[in-house]
Amino acid sequence: MLEAQQLWAAVLAYVLAGSGAIFGVVLRRNWQRLILGLMVLGLACHTASIVVRWDRLGHGPFITMFEILSSNVWSLMLAFTIAYWRLPAIRPSAAVVMPILFLMMGWLLMTSPKAGHFPPTYHTTWLFIHIGFGKVFLGAVLVAVGLSGVVLMRATVWGRDRFQRLPADGRLDELAYRCMALGFIFETLMLIAGAIWAQDAWGRYWAWDPLETWAFVTWLTLAFALHARATSRLSPQAASWLVVAVFVIAFLTFFGVPFVSTSPHKGAV
Amino acid sequence: MSAASTPSRALRGRLWRLLSRLASLKLTLAILVLLAVGVVAAYLSDTRTVWALVLPLTLCAINLMAAIASNGIFRRQLPLLVFHLCLLALIVLVALGRMTYLKGQLELTDGTWFEGQLSAVEAGPWHFGRLDQVRFASDGFRIDYDPGMRRGPTRNAVRFLDASGAVGQAVIGDQTPLTLCGYRFYTSHNKGFAPTFAWTPAGGAGSVTGSVHLPAYPLHEYRQARNWRLPESGIEAWTMLQFDGALIDPERADEFKLPAEHVLVLRVGDRRWTLQPGQYVVLPGGRLTYQGLRAWMGYTVFYDWTIPWLLAAAVSATVALGWHFWRKFASQPWDGVEVPDGDGNA
Ligand code: HEM
Repeated sequence: MLEAQQLWAAVLAYVLAGSGAIFGVVLRRNWQRLILGLMVLGLACHTASIVVRWDRLGHGPFITMFEILSSNVWSLMLAFTIAYWRLPAIRPSAAVVMPILFLMMGWLLMTSPKAGHFPPTYHTTWLFIHIGFGKVFLGAVLVAVGLSGVVLMRATVWGRDRFQRLPADGRLDELAYRCMALGFIFETLMLIAGAIWAQDAWGRYWAWDPLETWAFVTWLTLAFALHARATSRLSPQAASWLVVAVFVIAFLTFFGVPFVSTSPHKGAV
Repeated sequence: MSAASTPSRALRGRLWRLLSRLASLKLTLAILVLLAVGVVAAYLSDTRTVWALVLPLTLCAINLMAAIASNGIFRRQLPLLVFHLCLLALIVLVALGRMTYLKGQLELTDGTWFEGQLSAVEAGPWHFGRLDQVRFASDGFRIDYDPGMRRGPTRNAVRFLDASGAVGQAVIGDQTPLTLCGYRFYTSHNKGFAPTFAWTPAGGAGSVTGSVHLPAYPLHEYRQARNWRLPESGIEAWTMLQFDGALIDPERADEFKLPAEHVLVLRVGDRRWTLQPGQYVVLPGGRLTYQGLRAWMGYTVFYDWTIPWLLAAAVSATVALGWHFWRKFASQPWDGVEVPDGDGNA
């Protein structure tokens, strides 16, 4: 099937780009243009695959685990590619970000691409708004985690050497903080849009279902991280650990909770 | 300095110190942790753990009020002030909402009017709504099913009395509730068959019509029977609906419908009848006529006057925070991070 071939081509391009980024750091090589080109190529193939599937099934990639993983790999790659393109100084952080995406790609390729049932409550524009905000949020936190990963790895002898040419920890920390601030705004918007949708779809704007609960815990963790950074003098390392904590909770919320719960949020009505 | 002003100044000083302590930003961090722990505890616990949320939220409101009153940064940074005022408003609104909300369920036979009675209800202690004035009737519904009996959209035609007493019409279902006097009525996935009877007491008094709501269909496809009690007479009856084949074809796209042909089994004591629409049985105290089969729809109802205010506060908070960060970050561009040597890679 065409859409599967396009997806495999995309994953291949992403893997080549990611491997280039990792080996570039390890071997101290500059392959940035090639890596950017491969990322864009991968995104083009992936977009085509999603469009073909969307057209075939008549709905967007929001229902099955396969679709959710695929659309998130796409949006995270897009967010990181934009950061990679616009902020040349931080490009080596791809060596931290791409392994996270490899994990998701591996998981994606192991899940069944069978079509799912489109629940009646999904016929609403709030679905797109809610999911769109969520994707910006996670994309921003992914960029932040790449930068924080560099700061943390630079605390080791190996990392200090390999990531030497990146801006100083303080600057990386400032950029990561900006991404987190952006992420916080978009996560707040995601929660608002989700509450509006839930009110319409299930007659309640908030009911502490597993996804709502964990999304709120993520929001609190992010609020904690921003507050701690703004109100007390955190070292770049401490701030980076907070970024990692936010990312881990957000990641588990997005990709862990929907698959262990059968709450209506998953679409299983 | 007068003798009277010294203690009052000391008192003011003590109050100010208390306020600063309550406004502590370290306390804010502790409260955020406490709130997250409370949320997880409430989520994992089977028992009611309202306090796990109420305690940290109350502390948060106190901490916020104290900080807004005493921390100079809120005088200097308007967007930050607006954001935190909105957070405070959200906490207050959520508390008011919990005191005044109502959540309930009801079932309505096609063609009958809702007259304020709910089958299940949960409400805050200060709920003084006007549910008893709400009137609406279901005029039937359509529900599509995808192959595999996957439920699709629900469209329920309803009639209702509006504020002026005039009858209005609407089609509700899934994301579209019927809103009357602030109550939002949503169709639910619960729906089924309602055999309808007329009970005519022997004494010549007028007959009473009523329906028996059989268990939800297709959820309880093989349990289409139930016990019920005849009005006033107290006679216990048991009714079962029988029809051939599957009503909703699992192999293809289909819709919810009444069976084209059916029989109704009625049992009272050790007597048993099978009835067709229009047939009746004579029981001690009166005559029971089976009028025919209708459908019933289950609704959930939700009342919370704070919803638009919550939305306004949440959106204002987000706009204010966006404004705060914009001002904070605009002075230095995002790509202002220096690059050591051109395109430099490690
Ligand atoms: C759930 C509750 C809260 C959230 C989500 C929240 C969020 C935020 C955010 C995002 C900032 C901006 C940080 C930055 O500029 O990077 C901030 C700043 C601030 N918040 Fe909160 N906040 C909350 C509760 C509180 C409370 C209870 C207080 C009361 C003490 C408070 C006091 C402050 C102060 C004083 C600042 C300014 C910090 C600075 O720039 O130095 N916040 N808050």
